[in-house]
Amino acid sequence: MIALKKRLKCDSGWTFIEATLSVVIMAIMVLGLTIVLMAFREHLDRSWSIRVMDQYGNDVIERLTHELRNAVDVTVRPSVRNTHKIDIQYLDPYVHDLYHTNTWRADLQRSQILIDNDPIDKTFPPRSPGRGESFQIIQFTLSPYGQLTPNDSERRDSFNRASNFVNATYDIRFKLRYNRAAVNPGERNWKFEREYRNRVYMRNKNLIVKKGITE
Amino acid sequence: MKSIKNTWQREEGGIDFVQLIVGLMIIAIAAVGTFQALIYGYEQLDYEMRYRKAVSVARSYMEYWQGRIHTDINLYDRQVLNGNLGRPEVLLLDERDPTIDYDDVYCQVSYGPIDMVDLPTTGVGTDHFNLRVYVTWWEPEQREDRPPHEILFHASMVPAAL
Repeated sequence: MIALKKRLKCDSGWTFIEATLSVVIMAIMVLGLTIVLMAFREHLDRSWSIRVMDQYGNDVIERLTHELRNAVDVTVRPSVRNTHKIDIQYLDPYVHDLYHTNTWRADLQRSQILIDNDPIDKTFPPRSPGRGESFQIIQFTLSPYGQLTPNDSERRDSFNRASNFVNATYDIRFKLRYNRAAVNPGERNWKFEREYRNRVYMRNKNLIVKKGITE
Repeated sequence: MKSIKNTWQREEGGIDFVQLIVGLMIIAIAAVGTFQALIYGYEQLDYEMRYRKAVSVARSYMEYWQGRIHTDINLYDRQVLNGNLGRPEVLLLDERDPTIDYDDVYCQVSYGPIDMVDLPTTGVGTDHFNLRVYVTWWEPEQREDRPPHEILFHASMVPAAL
């Protein structure tokens, strides 16, 4: 200990060993920190895009749920790929016996959900996506309870239910995909899919309000 | 103390090896703390996404029962009398990394018996139905002997709209 103290005390500069060790340790730290920061940045980029997609998925589901709750009838038509065109009929709140219809559909080219050809959210997909980023609509369907479901118990249950229940209970399924294509050598393509779903019981379909009696 | 002061006084503006090592150690400790905070924040955001999805699952089951009460209720049905407490349905809540399956997060959905409430003052039979839907799940890295996260939806529905 005394010898070490003496050596440190009379240390008037850097020895070759100290300098080499310092360079090696700093190089390892800088390299490690750079790798961690780059990985973290990539992670944050993906995470941000997934959160933007998640917000859009929830917005679409919420808005469609709200419209179906207040609607008096709905018609579902097949559309391109795994999507439906959904015509939602609702009563005018001020004029007796006046019906309006909104048509919902998926625009697969622009990856947007449109209501009467107007996008629900003009900011999705983002105008300036990151490198290699893109979004895709994989599924946009509205099906009566027990149909198009991966849940066997629901399918079995639907056969035991009354027709006015099955005809008024709909499952919304909206599946989005986030793609991150490889740009630099050594990178790999990456994708992330998430399904958003909700069930709506269209109570107005089984009520007298459907006939236009609102008071 | 005097000798240390002397050493500092003699120093000509540079740093020595020991100072460098101590500095690097401080930077390393600070970096670990910062990354832990960032990872915690990221996990909280993930938790919020799962929580929102669990709310959606609970609401879907609530819609099912509201529709059943509206149109298709059999008061002697086993589902109505007992619910499915004790044998919940298992649903995928969050896929997380799409390249692997073992990190997926599943939730359990159960509903209690449908309580038929008959108020003695009204004399109309069942006045309203009480429904309860539970969604429970364990977060990744959470031990299974710890209590799960739970969402409870509780609603009352009057049959007057029939």
